Amino acid sequence: MSAARWGDVASYALFALLAAFFLLPFAWLVSLAIRTPAEVYLGAARFIPEAPTLDNFSAVLSDRAFLSYLWNGLKLSAGGGALAIALAIPAAYACSRIPFRGQGAVLVGLLAVQMISPLVILVPLYRWMSTLDLLNLHLSVIAVYGAIGMPLAVWLLKVTFDAIPVELEEAAQIDGASRWLILGRIVLPLARSGLASAFVLTMVMNWSQFLVPFILLERDQDWPISVAIFNFAGSVSASTTQLLAAACLIAVLPAVLVFVALQRMIVTALISGAVKG
Amino acid sequence: MTAAPALRERPPGQGQPWPWLLPAVAVLAVFYAIPVLDVVRLAFSDATLIAPATGLSLDAVRSILGDPALRKVLATTVIFVAVNVVALQLAGLSIALLIVRGERRGLKGMAAFRTLVLAAWVVPGIANGLIWGLLFDEAPYGTLNSLLGSVALGPVAWLSDPKMALVSAVIANLWQGTAFSMIVFYAARRGIPPVLYEVAELDAAGPWRTFRSITLPLMRRAIAVNSVLVSVQTLNTFDSILALTGGGPGRATEVLALFTFNTVFYNLDLAGGAVLALLLFAAGITLTLLIGWIGRDRGTS
Repeated sequence: MSAARWGDVASYALFALLAAFFLLPFAWLVSLAIRTPAEVYLGAARFIPEAPTLDNFSAVLSDRAFLSYLWNGLKLSAGGGALAIALAIPAAYACSRIPFRGQGAVLVGLLAVQMISPLVILVPLYRWMSTLDLLNLHLSVIAVYGAIGMPLAVWLLKVTFDAIPVELEEAAQIDGASRWLILGRIVLPLARSGLASAFVLTMVMNWSQFLVPFILLERDQDWPISVAIFNFAGSVSASTTQLLAAACLIAVLPAVLVFVALQRMIVTALISGAVKG
Repeated sequence: MTAAPALRERPPGQGQPWPWLLPAVAVLAVFYAIPVLDVVRLAFSDATLIAPATGLSLDAVRSILGDPALRKVLATTVIFVAVNVVALQLAGLSIALLIVRGERRGLKGMAAFRTLVLAAWVVPGIANGLIWGLLFDEAPYGTLNSLLGSVALGPVAWLSDPKMALVSAVIANLWQGTAFSMIVFYAARRGIPPVLYEVAELDAAGPWRTFRSITLPLMRRAIAVNSVLVSVQTLNTFDSILALTGGGPGRATEVLALFTFNTVFYNLDLAGGAVLALLLFAAGITLTLLIGWIGRDRGTS
């Protein structure tokens, strides 16, 4: 056997090891979520339950509040993602098409604010929103999501715009189209896939957000799923491990499914962003 | 009408950028710049979450900096960040290089494996903590302990032993965070011209030599930038630890971000929390300036 073949064998061995590590939590979560309480106590001895059950899911989902947590999560993530993209489009376009002094500073500044933990800015934001009576509003959370997601969106969209040939715009400009019109009619339609990746990526990040909604939303019925499962975990005892597993699975699944379905597109956007950045 | 033709003749490469930048700049000001200034003001006040500041004071700074817990928290933070930065990048780099090699050799399952690593990345931090909490469960039927038990090992006190709890927190973070480094390194590795590897092959350079002389030097910048990004991300991580250990046992896994969170939102000590937030901010900015410094080097080296 050649050295390269031995290398392949070694690669597969490493992949198997790594795959086991990355797969274990998912596999275990599913295994726990379909167990009866009695089988939870069997631990690893019975990975695939003898009597798999969906009762845990129906128990979790029969709580109507849980459905509204999912809905809130979706609403906040999508709203925040859309806002981040809307705010990012003009800035990304300017950075891509208009050379100006301080452009580097703007781009580095956008990267720098990403380093600021939401924890830092939430302390004053909480106070202001409390004074202005803006707490407990989904719109407030969406606004913060928009601000948090915008910097990354500018970077991703700038890379997307850079890849669109400028000649098309020059032609339109000769025909007398204004720059806003050019952006709306030519650039954005051509940037569809970049816009979509940036949107999905910011949305998935918003779905994971815990701190912002935890702090800005005080009422149970307003919570997104990320806050709700934290609260749920605090309320369940060890005897309901299977319920917690089912709840976690429900919270994790939407983001994972969307990401896996669209990963080729998103990863391409991220990789081109990583190369340019 | 006279101005119109002049406007029209402008190529797309020119014009006033500021109207375009206005929304982004306004957002940065309202949600970042002003809040950060306000944090500075709060740090030197006596405000609590429920009572406004009544005046300037250094009490909060003094009491937080004098708090014996802070020393412990900072030590934990440094260890947590340092170990994660090394582990995340070693894992990310190995996986990226393995995938690139696998793709070149036409090995099956590369896409599926990459998807699996990425799937862990999109798991919400809170869920990450809860899921690993189930795995680390120390009851006899807990996942890892019952797995270890089946080969006559353990049981391990994953979460109740202070040292082990920190290791457990690192493992959970590694599971979720590796994907980011993997993407960065995968992109950097793909950016290396294949011709260099062809030359190395002609020179009969072995894999280790090729890695040392081509891959590593050409990825140095990516590794440097990624180190900073990953350390800032890790510095700001607290939701997965909150859900996994709550910072315990004792303060064994209480990192700076979690300590800040607890100070503000559980102890309602706004001024103290602002001091800690400033520390967090300063640490983050210092690391970010490092990126700028590394980025500036690009042209010359």
